[in-house]
Amino acid sequence: MTSAISISGVTKRFGKFTAVDRLDLEVPLGVTFGLLGPNGAGKTTTIRMTMNITKADEGTIQVLGKPLADEMQERIGYLPEERGLYRKMTVIDQLLFFAAIKGVEKKAALARLEKWIDVMDLRPWLAKKTEELSKGMQQKVQFLGTIVHDPEVLILDEPFSGLDPINVVLLKDFLVDFKKQGKTIVFSTHVMEQAEKLCDRIALIYRGRKLLDGTVKEIKAAYRDRVPLPPPVEPEPELEKIFIKAVEESGLAAPATEELR
Amino acid sequence: MNRKLFHVIRREYLQQVKTKGFWIGTILIPTLGLVFVYLQVILASTLIPEGKIGVVDLTGRLYEPLVAEQKAVSDVDEKDGKVEEKSRKMPAKITFFAVEATPDTLPAVRKELNQRVQKKEIKAYIVIPADGLATGNVEWRARSVKADMILRESVERGLARAGTKERLKDAGVDPSVYEKARLTVKLDPREATEKETSEDAKNVGANLAISGVLFFLIYISIFIYGAFIMRGVLEEKNNRIVEVIISSVKPTTLMLGKIIGIGLVGLTQYAVWGLFAFTITLPGIVGVMGLSGGALPSIPGMTILAFVVFFLLGYFLYAGLYAALAAPFNTEQEAQQLVMIPGMMLILASTMWFFAFNTPDGTLARVLSLFPFTSPLLMFMRISVQPPPAWEIALSIVILLLSIWGVAWFAGRVYRVGILMYGKKPTLPEIIRWARATD
Ligand SMILES: Nc1ncnc2c1ncn2[C@@H]1O[C@H](COP(=O)(O)OP(=O)(O)OP(=O)(O)O)[C@@H](O)[C@H]1O
Ligand SMILES: [Mg+2]
Repeated sequence: MTSAISISGVTKRFGKFTAVDRLDLEVPLGVTFGLLGPNGAGKTTTIRMTMNITKADEGTIQVLGKPLADEMQERIGYLPEERGLYRKMTVIDQLLFFAAIKGVEKKAALARLEKWIDVMDLRPWLAKKTEELSKGMQQKVQFLGTIVHDPEVLILDEPFSGLDPINVVLLKDFLVDFKKQGKTIVFSTHVMEQAEKLCDRIALIYRGRKLLDGTVKEIKAAYRDRVPLPPPVEPEPELEKIFIKAVEESGLAAPATEELR
Repeated sequence: MNRKLFHVIRREYLQQVKTKGFWIGTILIPTLGLVFVYLQVILASTLIPEGKIGVVDLTGRLYEPLVAEQKAVSDVDEKDGKVEEKSRKMPAKITFFAVEATPDTLPAVRKELNQRVQKKEIKAYIVIPADGLATGNVEWRARSVKADMILRESVERGLARAGTKERLKDAGVDPSVYEKARLTVKLDPREATEKETSEDAKNVGANLAISGVLFFLIYISIFIYGAFIMRGVLEEKNNRIVEVIISSVKPTTLMLGKIIGIGLVGLTQYAVWGLFAFTITLPGIVGVMGLSGGALPSIPGMTILAFVVFFLLGYFLYAGLYAALAAPFNTEQEAQQLVMIPGMMLILASTMWFFAFNTPDGTLARVLSLFPFTSPLLMFMRISVQPPPAWEIALSIVILLLSIWGVAWFAGRVYRVGILMYGKKPTLPEIIRWARATD
């Protein structure tokens, strides 16, 4: 069976500085894979090389069993770390453009977006220019742009950063749903709790090298004796859940819809 | 054609054409042009000299004839507003007055007249010496020796005519013979071929004006659309959208799409102008300029073809440069330094128009119309003035095509590295190194 992503012996240097150092990574098909590591570890660089945005100095990278060529781009959804939209374009034009450059026809794209537009409360905003949207709203649009072509593999660079708890839940639910369809997800994150809940496998990289790699279970087993266990805690409601509950109980419509009336 | 390229072009085109700025520019530029031309005409008409001029005539023979010349022309002027011969034109708004003087009183008279000039009571005064009819030397005194060129020339002409008539009298000839005998010669330019030159082609003034306008259009649109490209590249970079896009299309496709899209915006603008120009604006311009003898000249097909071809070639050459030179930077200010290079080359090319216009087959004109960064402008000018041999045109086009290919190669490589570079401002050698680096 081919891997979704297979990175072997990859090195990337910026001048004298080695950002990624002889890295090997295997992401099996259908797996949710967490790429962890401190700031500057080389996560973004690795992801960019996988997307063929920057070229590796050494080593080979294969996606879905082939070197990343242009036609493969249409089978991958990519959310870069630095988000961005065309400020003067309307939300719908923007989404259709993202679809078009992934080779999806307008009709198919609209059909696919239909469900998500409602889930994400975007309908009242479709004809607005993105510069009129709040940051979180823009992130939703961006995320829709990432999945509008129904990719087989999702590569997300810190997808949760900048989202409020409601949108975090939205995104988590989406990823779980996406995974259920047997698709592959790779994402980098600094939030261990998310990695723990969502990922089948994780890799930890540091200074461009891989320190840990395996299923969450395996890694936990390996460190069981060396890492102190958390003290048992009295169960109490999580702040996140309180946040969401309070917003729900306020009886107000979502700000997006409200402002427009 | 690549579908992704098509979508990038489409987006670029629609985004530009949908803005208010585009339509304002499309309407404003020709309007400003018209206002400019109109102002020129108004200004030119205010240049008709006027003022009081004192005449100190030591010959005692020229004052009356000078006033008579002036009056003769004024009469014509008033009759139908047109003077049949340009050389006779001596505007009506000059009034001469005689100032009595002898060689002895001259210094005192001068002193007084000087004061009146300085007080702006009179415009100027002239002193015709006793031997003025023999030498033609006349003194002109005004506040400045540089100003009033047109006024001076018309006084000169009036004096010359009056003086000539007096001299004819001295030689025993009836001065009315002068008017009869005077012959004005006009050269009628025709091409040295068996074919009779058409009336249109002979309408040289208007044709050259149109060539000039088209030349200026090529120049200004490459400049404007070059800036559009620079801004577009920087915008995509600053928005950070570029990374999203190039995960779907190749950087070179994105660059090419931007260049073609904006080029189409330019052509759209031309089409709009063309539509209006040939129905409304151009007859206006030509009419106001008084260039055509009534009938509107048709632009030769060759000129239009050359315009389209050389505009496109020039545009693609410069557009690639603008894209490449903008990509490494984060702000317009940073990019400005390098973007000045194509800007300067364009300005240089535009200032060289005179060589192509005046001596279209001179060495300089020929060299500049082959050099790729000046040839789009200068070869166009040459073709519209006096078509060079076909091989020169072909060579110029081939050189341009090769240069476009070279620039595209350079631009593509710099662009794909540059758009992902944030932070430190790179230097020109670094940028060149990116282009040379193997992937
Ligand atoms: N274009 C570049 N030029 C020079 N150095 C770079 C470039 N891109 C990344 N680096 C360096 O490579 C190292 C790895 O960067 P990378 O962005 O991959 O880290 P990261 O793991 O994504 O970190 P973070 O968690 O902060 O996003 C960093 O030290 C960074 O400074
Ligand atoms: Mg990163």
